[in-house]
Amino acid sequence: MKLIITDLVNFNMPVEGEHKIIRPQGDIRNCVGCFGCWTRTPGKCVIHDGYENTGIDMSKCTELIFVSRCYYGSVSPFVKTVQDRAISYIHPDFVIRKGEMHHKRRYDNVISLSAHFYGENITDAEKKTARKILEANADNYDGLVKDIYFYRSAEELEGISL
Amino acid sequence: MKIALINGSPKVKSGASGILLEDLKAYLGETEVLEFGFHTGAVTEEEAEALNQADALVLSFPLYVDGVPGHLLSCLAGLEEASFKNREIRVYGIVNCGFFEGIQAETALQVLENWCAKTGYVWGSGVGVGGGGALAQMPKTKSGHGPREPVEKALKVLADAIHAGKTQEIQRAQENQYVSVAFPRFLYKLAAQTGWRQMMKANGGKMRDLGKRPKISEQ
Repeated sequence: MKLIITDLVNFNMPVEGEHKIIRPQGDIRNCVGCFGCWTRTPGKCVIHDGYENTGIDMSKCTELIFVSRCYYGSVSPFVKTVQDRAISYIHPDFVIRKGEMHHKRRYDNVISLSAHFYGENITDAEKKTARKILEANADNYDGLVKDIYFYRSAEELEGISL
Repeated sequence: MKIALINGSPKVKSGASGILLEDLKAYLGETEVLEFGFHTGAVTEEEAEALNQADALVLSFPLYVDGVPGHLLSCLAGLEEASFKNREIRVYGIVNCGFFEGIQAETALQVLENWCAKTGYVWGSGVGVGGGGALAQMPKTKSGHGPREPVEKALKVLADAIHAGKTQEIQRAQENQYVSVAFPRFLYKLAAQTGWRQMMKANGGKMRDLGKRPKISEQ
């Protein structure tokens, strides 16, 4: 399954195969750092606003695709908040991976990560940061980076198939 | 000189971001300090105005999924919209990282630096603090001693950089500092894992459920 997290309310890119799209549908509340998704309802965020199951969705995907406006080299506040609310995809315990501390796996699936960033004036420094963050995400999810793309506007995404 | 200390943690009380700002404040000496809490995703017009009067902004926040927490990113975007661009405001960052290695905060500091380039603010430097999860449990010891010593030392260097930035002694951005608490990594790992089990128990759960794979049953 492909899991797409996007800040585009009117997301209409064609997607091949089985997929799920998480887009802004009602306000999202931010992660409050309570660790309830690890120690109260393991695997699920404790905030019930419709965005609490992303960690579970991630466990069912083989590809995770971000389609987001680029904010200073990061995904957008909406996409980032969805990500922040989904740390239950991983286990709270630590492991040492590539010489650095990361979290243990909760699930067995290996995620390939892609990102499609759009924005009128994405600088080279922002592109560098975006790439680095995606690689760091892959390390933390114990997955892989597949692709990263940049577009000058959301309109340029039209015609691209995921 | 006015320095705005911004606590960017979603936690209003007892977070590592606040502790780090308190420590920094002690090194800033007789400087006028303005304190802000960006605990949700909105910045008021009054806050934006007040920040614009500062000579330096220090953002202290936790590392969330290799970056800036979503709500704080939303605040940064709000400030970009409201940005006045008429002053040389310097920006500094303190990122506390739950992992042991402070270097894992590098990406979040890069996001701040990129934000400066977009807003017209001047990037100063940052500190990535590894082992931030233990700060609240570590007692404050005599300066120069104890497990918090490397962190305090880095904050002292940051405080000096903030002062030097004002007097234009430093024309270029300083190097970021990456530090960890002076505590063995394997013990930090063990302490954290014991902590999760204690939280689980306190919440009335079973330890084996820590690795639970829930289903979406309500849908």
